[in-house]
Amino acid sequence: MLTTHLNEETLLFAENLGGWRDAIELVSAPLLDSGSISRGYVDAMLESIADGGTYIDLGYGIALAHARPERGVIETGLSALWVRPEVLLNDEPEHPISFFVCLAAADSTSHLETMAELGVLLSDDETRDALLAATNAADALAVLTSGESK
Amino acid sequence: MTKFLAVCSTGLGSSFMVHMNIEKVLKELEISGVTVDHADLGSVANGDADAIFVGRDIADAASHLGDVVALDSIIDLAELRDKVAATAKRHGLTD
Repeated sequence: MLTTHLNEETLLFAENLGGWRDAIELVSAPLLDSGSISRGYVDAMLESIADGGTYIDLGYGIALAHARPERGVIETGLSALWVRPEVLLNDEPEHPISFFVCLAAADSTSHLETMAELGVLLSDDETRDALLAATNAADALAVLTSGESK
Repeated sequence: MTKFLAVCSTGLGSSFMVHMNIEKVLKELEISGVTVDHADLGSVANGDADAIFVGRDIADAASHLGDVVALDSIIDLAELRDKVAATAKRHGLTD
């Protein structure tokens, strides 16, 4: 379930960030702290984006930050960060991002259930809008929990 | 059986979301006879699928894979519905 991974510790809110690199550092911090990922995984995400990896932009100002499991995932985890105002992914004007999800997948299968739930939630106009509008972890959790029943 | 393949750079995240959404849309459109899967860009060769669905940012990198359908947004069901319907028609699955 989504809320197994996304909870008070892993749902973050930040304002006035210096840029996309700050967002990646911030969103990965809870996963680093819990031992889900190594520092190398954060660097791999930063490198990938700087290398033109803006494909993590899903649309609607949402980015799914991730790298390959072998780049430093210890156990599967997920975190999320709302940024206000939005930041430009790789400083590219066509990729404004206000919501970062950080995916750490330990292998190619263990996270699929979580990804499926996230996909359903983000593909639903109403649920996505409610999630993007959240200003604190309690609001976000309420949306995530309602999404799980869909 | 026609095969639609959702492809992203790592094969871990967005391709699976697109895979699920293609299945959902095919069901809504009542189109049968299509298998759907997902993969990473590096492991796909031309001929692996009848149509390849990718995010716009990797459309150029995937252009050698045959019938490539570029999506502006990975999570826009309305866009996907239109493009899946057009692709199904192109492959003779619908009139």
